[in-house]
Amino acid sequence: MKTIDVTRLRDIVGERNIKTDPSDLYVYGSDSSVHHAMPWVIVKPETTPQVQEIMRYANDETIPVIARGGGSGMCGQTVPIQGGIMLDMKGMNKILEINLEDVYCRVEPGVVDDDLNLALKQYGVFYPPTPASSRIATIGGEIANNASGVRSVKYGATRDAVLGMKVVLPNGDLISLGAHTRVEASGYQLHKLMVGSEGTLGVVVEATLSFVPIPEFRCMGVANFDSLVDAGEAIGSIMASGSIPSMLELVDSVAIKAVNKTMDLGLKEVAAALIFEADGMVKEAVDYEINKMKKTCEKHNGKDIYASYDPKERAKIFLGRKKLFPALSKYDDNLASTSLADDMAVPYSKMAEMAGKIHEIADENNIVMTAYGHCGSGCMHTKILMDTKREDQWDSAKKAITQVYDYVRSVNGTTSAEHGIGISKAESFKVEKSDSLNLLAGIKKAFDPNNIMNPGKLAQAPEDWVTATNLRYSVNS
Amino acid sequence: MENKIKEFKNLEKWQGTLANCIRCGYCFEHCPMFKHSGWESDAPRAKIITAFGLITGEVEPSESAADKMFSCFYCKRCEAACSSGVPLTEIFTDTRKDLVEMGLEGPGTTSITKLNCARCLICVGACPHEARSYDGKGIDTDPAKCQACGICLEVCPAGAAKIENDFGTGREELIEKASTFLNTHESSKAIIFACNWSYFPDLQASVLPESVTKDNNYEILVNMCGGRLESHLLMAPFLHNAWGVMAAVCPDDECQHEGNQRAKKIVENLRNTFKSIDIDPERIQLVQIPAGDKTLFQAEIDTFVDKLNHMGPIR
Repeated sequence: MKTIDVTRLRDIVGERNIKTDPSDLYVYGSDSSVHHAMPWVIVKPETTPQVQEIMRYANDETIPVIARGGGSGMCGQTVPIQGGIMLDMKGMNKILEINLEDVYCRVEPGVVDDDLNLALKQYGVFYPPTPASSRIATIGGEIANNASGVRSVKYGATRDAVLGMKVVLPNGDLISLGAHTRVEASGYQLHKLMVGSEGTLGVVVEATLSFVPIPEFRCMGVANFDSLVDAGEAIGSIMASGSIPSMLELVDSVAIKAVNKTMDLGLKEVAAALIFEADGMVKEAVDYEINKMKKTCEKHNGKDIYASYDPKERAKIFLGRKKLFPALSKYDDNLASTSLADDMAVPYSKMAEMAGKIHEIADENNIVMTAYGHCGSGCMHTKILMDTKREDQWDSAKKAITQVYDYVRSVNGTTSAEHGIGISKAESFKVEKSDSLNLLAGIKKAFDPNNIMNPGKLAQAPEDWVTATNLRYSVNS
Repeated sequence: MENKIKEFKNLEKWQGTLANCIRCGYCFEHCPMFKHSGWESDAPRAKIITAFGLITGEVEPSESAADKMFSCFYCKRCEAACSSGVPLTEIFTDTRKDLVEMGLEGPGTTSITKLNCARCLICVGACPHEARSYDGKGIDTDPAKCQACGICLEVCPAGAAKIENDFGTGREELIEKASTFLNTHESSKAIIFACNWSYFPDLQASVLPESVTKDNNYEILVNMCGGRLESHLLMAPFLHNAWGVMAAVCPDDECQHEGNQRAKKIVENLRNTFKSIDIDPERIQLVQIPAGDKTLFQAEIDTFVDKLNHMGPIR
């Protein structure tokens, strides 16, 4: 561990914006992943010049810097694997401008997603990439991970909504990327490159985002299936038929049981269910989309199919979906839900096979896994439910993860749909990107020659995620 | 490590449950301490992480670690919202018990008694959590039992009971916030004091620019528990030209600190006082809102503000 000049950092951000006590450092060493590692100091900048000064100091001293939003990442993106300065960006949380005429807003990175949408709502517009963690996820964190969510099937992910940004480079320079326009044709579109870079290139200190009108009508439907394969095939058919859902979610039997235990949603405990939604400004158009999706579900043996415009009914199901991730811990009292193999994307035609494969691999390795996700956008999630005290369960998990991602790559899918790579998915990421790793390393070096920005992540992550950091669980206790 | 686990004999039983916390952080939005400080280490998830660190020996049982564990108002919003079913406050309490055994007591949000205590023992009888006792010399607060509801503060005639770390919920701070709002918003009319249990709308972490902030005619201030309301606090906004004051507390069967019954009496007394000096008693109102029912809460606020608009300012 290097010596940190705490006095200098305190002079930059002020006494109230710095933490050095080990009990604080310990808390900031965690996120929503299985990993834990201690930062050396936590600083909370409130202005761009403060970020610039911190970066200049860190670059001169070659100290790692990890920018952190809500700490809701699932793959260890903000776990400081090599220690260093934790930049808590929640101190920069101002909405700077809402420009209705040019259809963009400018925000600081610490703005919470739901807070932005609350501010936009009064003008009848919304920022659509919203992930399930939108109540704590910050725009900066969403940019770092290219977050998306239930409505991304229609409105796109974070990368689609980012028009431009201001970034502090590792040497402290402030640069403006992108523009305040919908289109930008030439050059390398560096603002898009920053999206999904997981804090390894620079610190985003301002983002320009597009927004869209809140639709007049939203209708949500549910279809039950006795076979996970049927549900998976229905997803493929819906997307291939030209339907435009504003939400198309798969939940399997494990997920249904967990959500029902938590929220008493009354979902039928079937093999799988699809939750689908259409929205728009014209009711007839929404009806058309909903009926088309209902018919497709029927064709694939969907049953008990219903749809509702009732806001209360929709809100209940929507909330159930948003809380699915933590609810999985209630599936079985003896099993903890771990953020492992949590995210992937496969082509639509492989969705059914992917869902089946997840359960097959789980059975083979004596663990429980679930298949759910924003399947309309090609995104599949799972979690590994296991007895985290048993070392052999971690061996099983490791084997299962390798099998899952081997399959994903074999069907031309990708390791991360929206949760990022961080530490725990790096093994598969490196295999998937094997022919472009040199290029990625070159880009990293061009931005960050001293390798201080969130080192040890993405392509730099250790080969074995189990031993890469301390695990946040007591194993063999 | 083995020795540490033995020292945490109350916390030990929660080892499995600590693993069940998925650390999603969805509890942040409900925590008034996180909203006030903005530091993750004050959020409920941080306490669970700290408890895990203590039991595994990764966190040293220190004064600062204890301060975190003893800082909680027990509004239990985090617990109600936790989809993983983690009984957060039970874990906090058991951790506190173990820390007390080790001689670590906070201060956190534990109420204290200052030297000007008259030993009238009113606080001992009023404490709904049996945290306060008299040992023949002075008042003692059991830090493992104190839930920082603040009722002792409001019943203490000498002003000797105090919560040092009140995370912005102290009486003087609330009065300051109310007066600042009333003096800086042209169309301001009402102050809403809400216990955290009933408080939900507009819990914004982010700061909006003036250009996109609606000129609200009311401000919601969290006073944690209805039991903390007292006449001075409720009357203060009227000195800064408030048209009305509303107190939002829990329904009868939901209050965990018996604070709503006290609040009812205080509001009723003030309404009678208003009547006696020919001020419409409807300008001060108490509503009971179930936990997290933001729709009802907003509707009650809107109705109240409409009523005030009809009445106009106090002349």
